[in-house]
Amino acid sequence: MGEWVRVAALEDCPPGSLRSVMVGSVPVVLCNVDGALYAVEDRCSHEELPLSDGELEGPILVCQYHGARFDVTSGAPRGLPAVRPIRTFAVEIRDDGIYIQGT
Amino acid sequence: MTNEFGFTTLPQAPEGVTSTLNRGMVETLSAFEPAWLRERRFRAWEVYESLPLPTTRLEEWRYTDLRKKLDLGALAWPAKTQCADDWEACPEALRRAMEEDDPSAGRIWGVDGQIVHVDLEPRLQEKGVVFTSLREAVQRFPRLLEEHLATQALPPERGKFEALNAALWTDGVFLYVPRGVDLELPVRVTRWVAQAGVAFFSRTLIIAEAGSRISFMDEILSHDLEAQTLVSRAVEILAREGSQVHYVGLQRLGKGAFFQASQRTLAQRDATLDTLNIGLGATTTRVDLNASLLGPGASSEMLGLYFGEGDQHFDHNTSQDHLAPHTTSDLLYKGALDGRSRAVFRGIIRVHPGAQKTDAYQKNRNLLLSPEARADSLPNLEIQADDVKCSHGASVGNLDAEARFYLMSRGLDREQAERLVVLGFLGEVLARMPLGSLGQKVTRVIEEKLKKV
Amino acid sequence: MPQNETIQSLGLDEYKYHFVDDTKYLFRTEPGLSEEVVRQISAQKGEPEWMLQFRLKALEIYRSKPMPKWGGDLSGLEAVLDQIYYYVRPQEKMGHSWDEVPENIKRTFERLGIPEAEQKILAGVGAQYESEMVYHSLKKEWEEQGVIFESIEDGLRKYPDLFRKYFGTVVPPHDNKFAALNSAVWSGGSFVYIPKGVELKTPLQAYFRVNMERMGQFERTLIIADEGSRAHYIEGCTAPVYSTESFHSGVIEIIVHRNAHFRYTTIQNWSTNMYNLVTQRALVHENAHMEWLDGNLGSKLTMKYPSCYLVGEGAHGEILSIAYAGDGQHQDTGGKIIHAAPRTTSSIVSKSISKGTGRASYRGLLKVHKGATQARANVECDALLINETSRTDTYPYIEIEERDANVGHEATVSKVGDEQLFYLMSRGLSEDEAMALIVRGFIEPIAKELPLEYAVELNRLIELEMEGSVG
Ligand code: FES
Repeated sequence: MGEWVRVAALEDCPPGSLRSVMVGSVPVVLCNVDGALYAVEDRCSHEELPLSDGELEGPILVCQYHGARFDVTSGAPRGLPAVRPIRTFAVEIRDDGIYIQGT
Repeated sequence: MTNEFGFTTLPQAPEGVTSTLNRGMVETLSAFEPAWLRERRFRAWEVYESLPLPTTRLEEWRYTDLRKKLDLGALAWPAKTQCADDWEACPEALRRAMEEDDPSAGRIWGVDGQIVHVDLEPRLQEKGVVFTSLREAVQRFPRLLEEHLATQALPPERGKFEALNAALWTDGVFLYVPRGVDLELPVRVTRWVAQAGVAFFSRTLIIAEAGSRISFMDEILSHDLEAQTLVSRAVEILAREGSQVHYVGLQRLGKGAFFQASQRTLAQRDATLDTLNIGLGATTTRVDLNASLLGPGASSEMLGLYFGEGDQHFDHNTSQDHLAPHTTSDLLYKGALDGRSRAVFRGIIRVHPGAQKTDAYQKNRNLLLSPEARADSLPNLEIQADDVKCSHGASVGNLDAEARFYLMSRGLDREQAERLVVLGFLGEVLARMPLGSLGQKVTRVIEEKLKKV
Repeated sequence: MPQNETIQSLGLDEYKYHFVDDTKYLFRTEPGLSEEVVRQISAQKGEPEWMLQFRLKALEIYRSKPMPKWGGDLSGLEAVLDQIYYYVRPQEKMGHSWDEVPENIKRTFERLGIPEAEQKILAGVGAQYESEMVYHSLKKEWEEQGVIFESIEDGLRKYPDLFRKYFGTVVPPHDNKFAALNSAVWSGGSFVYIPKGVELKTPLQAYFRVNMERMGQFERTLIIADEGSRAHYIEGCTAPVYSTESFHSGVIEIIVHRNAHFRYTTIQNWSTNMYNLVTQRALVHENAHMEWLDGNLGSKLTMKYPSCYLVGEGAHGEILSIAYAGDGQHQDTGGKIIHAAPRTTSSIVSKSISKGTGRASYRGLLKVHKGATQARANVECDALLINETSRTDTYPYIEIEERDANVGHEATVSKVGDEQLFYLMSRGLSEDEAMALIVRGFIEPIAKELPLEYAVELNRLIELEMEGSVG
C-alpha cells in the first residue's frame, strides 16, 4: 500500500468540481460528487489525454476530448469511446485537508 | 503579470536548448573548422531552434512521447575519450564484438563519439577508395564534403533531430568508392559507448560512384548505462548509376540509451541500395529511414529486425519515395516483442506522379511473446501513378501453437521449441542479405535475450 | 443557368437527378448557425428541455473544436457552413399511406426512380424529404411484432424513455467536430427499435434527398436491436446537382444487444459538390453481429469510417466498403474496429476505384485491447487505378495490446491490365465495355452483398462512368 499524500485543502475542491493534483509522479483528478470525494488517474483510457480537462455530471466524468464517460466511484467506463476502466485511488478527508493514497 | 525585471513574461529558451545543447556548443565545435562547415553548423542550429520538439500530436510521433522518453536538459557533453589507437587498449566488449567478425576490407572503431582507429586494405587505397573519419575527411576532401555533407540526403530542414545532428556532430565516417571499384569484402565500423548521461552525435556519409560495389557494416554497442544517454546517428548514402550498396546497421546498446537514427538513401539510375537495420538494444529506439529512388531502374530493399524485452520501445518510421519510372522498393520489417516492450512501425510508400512501372512493397510483421507487449503498425500508401504494382501488409500474431507442438513432438522442450519458432520468424529477414558472420552474431544475441526471458 | 453547365459536365444519365422541385417551405431558419437557430429548431420540434440543453451544449463543443486537419481538404467548408440553412421544414404533416403523400413529392420520388427501387419490395418506407420525414409508413406485421420505425422526431416524442436511454451514448457530441454540429442541429433521420427475438425478413429502408440549394442535412438515426433480433436497414440517397457547395453531416448510432444480428447498408451518390461527413458507429454486445455495408459513389468529399465497438465476448464486426472516386472527387473512407472483449472477431474488406483526377483513400483503425484474448481480425484493401492522374492512399492504424490475438492487414494497388483489356476486346467487347466488366468483377465480392436493386444501379453507374475512361 502506498503512502497517503496531502493533495489539497477541502475548499479547493467544492461539490461538482474537479481538481488535478499530483500523487508522487502520477497525475490524479480529484472529483467532488455532491460532497463525496473520489480520485481517479488523470488519464483517459481512450487516448490517454488528461481527464482533468473534462466535466463532472453527477458521478460521471466526461472526457472533453471525445466524450468518453467514466464512473468516478469505480473507474468503470460508462460511455464510448471508452471501453476500459481508469485507475482509482483511495481518498480521505482529514483535519488539515484532502489525502490520497498513492500506489 | 510583470516580474521584478519588468518582463511581462519570462524570456524562454527555444525548445530543446539546454545547458549542453546550445549555440555555444556549436561555437566550440566549429572553432577550428573551415568556414563552410561553421556556417553549415550554425544554419543547422538555427533550424533546430526554430523547430518545436515533436509531440504525439504529430502523426509521425503519435506513439513515441518524447516528453516522457527523452530529457534533453539532463544530458551532458561527453568527456574526451582516453582510448589509444591500440588493439590492446580497446575496451574488452568492443574487442570481443570485433573478434566475432569475418575479415574486412577496412575497419574503423570508435569510443564515445570519437574515432580511434582507421585501416583500409592498401589495394583499395591505391584504387582511390577513401575510408576515414569525418574530421579527417573535412580536411582532406573539403570540396566533396562541402557538396554532400548534410545537403542532399539529410539537410537540417528534414527535422528537429536531423538539424541537431548536423549542428553538433563530433565525428563520423566517410566512405568514398570510385567508379567501378568493388570492395569485395565489407568495411566495418564498430563503436563502443562507455559514458552515461551524455549526448553523442555522429554522422556517416557514403558515396558510391557509378558501378562500384560496397558492403558497409555499422555496429554500435554498450553496457547498460546508469543514466539516460542520447546516441544520435545520421547516415547519408548516395548511390550513383549502377552502383550497389549494402548497408547494415546493428544496434545493441544497453539499457538507458535513447538511440536516434536518421538515414536517407538516394539511388540513381540502375543503382541498388539495400539497407538492413537491426535493433536489439537501447531503451528507446527511433529510426527514420527514407529511400528515394531517383533514376529509372533504381531499387532498394529495406530490411529491419528488432527484438524487444523489458520496457524497450522501438519506433521505426520509414518512407519509400518513387520519383522515377521503373523503380522498385521492397520493405520487410519484423520484430518479436517480449516483456513490456513495444514496437511502432510507420511506413509509407509514395509513388509520385509519373513514376510509372513502379513495384513497391511493404510488410511489417510482429510476434508478441508476452501478455504485456504491444505492437502498433501503420503501413501507408500514397499512389499517384496508375501503372504500378504496390502492396503492403501488416500482421501481429503470437507464437504459432502448431509450430511449437510440432517441434515439441520432435522431442524439444517448450523453451527450445519457442526459441526455434522465434528465430525462424526473424531469420527470414537475415536470410535476405548476405551477412556472413554478422548473421550468426545477431542470432546469438537474440538467443541470449530469449534465454534471459 | 449555371445548372445547365453542370449537366454538360456530367454523364448524360445523371441529369435525371437534376431538378429542383418547387416544394413550399413552411419554415426555415436564417442561413448560418447561432444559438438562436438551435433554439428555434428545438422549439419548432416541440422538444423537451433536456434535448434543448443537449443541443446547446453540443453547439458549444462544436465551436470549441478545430476543423480537422487530416483526411480531405476542408478549406472550402467554412464558407459553406456560414451560408447553409440549418433547418428547413417542408410539410406540416406526416403521410401514413402512399395516398396521403403530396403529389409533387410523389413526382419527385418517381423522377428519382424510387418506385422501381423501393416499392416492389417494400410496403413500409421511411422516407426523408428535406430535413424531415414527410412520408413514413410501417408495415403492419412489424407493428404487430412491436417494431418501432419512426422518424427520429416521433421517436423522441412517443418513446421518450427508450430514446433518452440510448441517444448520444454511442456517438457523444464530443467525438468529433461534425458529430458535435449534428448534435446541435440534427433534424430528420430514423428511430428504430427491434424487440427481443424479432426477425425481420424484409429490410427497413429510408430514402431521402436534399433538395434546396445551400441546404445542409443533419440526419440523425438511432437504432436499437434488442437481444436475439435480426434486421437489415438500408439507406440510400441521391442528390440533385447544385451550383454551390452543399453539406451533409449525419450521425448514426446503433446498439446491437446480445445475440442480435444487424446490418446497415448505405449507398451514397450525392452530387459532386457535396461535403459528406458522417459518423456511423455501432456498439456490439455479447455474441452479436454487426455489419456495415458502405458504398460511396458521389459527393465532392466524403469522410466516413463506420465503426464497431466489440464490447461483449464473441461479438463480431464486419465492414464492407466500396468507394468510387471520379474526377475531382475524394473518397476518404474506411472503417474502425475496436476489440474490447475476448473471442471477438472482425473483418474489413475495402475496394476502391479511382478514375480521372479522383482520389480514394482508405483510412482505418484496428485496435485490440489488452484482455481481448483470441481476437481475430483481418483487413483487406484493394485499390484499382484507371488513369495516370488517379490517386489512391491507404492509411491503416493497427494497434495491438493483446498477445493472444491474430491480426492481419493486406492491401494491394493495381491498374487494369492491358492483357485483360485486350483479351476482352478480342472477344468483341468495346474498350469501355471491357473496362466496365473488369471494374464490375473487381467490386463483385461486395456488390453481391447488396440488395438486387442497388446492385443493378451500381452496375449501371459503373458502365456510365467507364464511358470514355480509356484513351
Ligand atoms: S481521450 Fe478521452 S475520450 Fe478520447
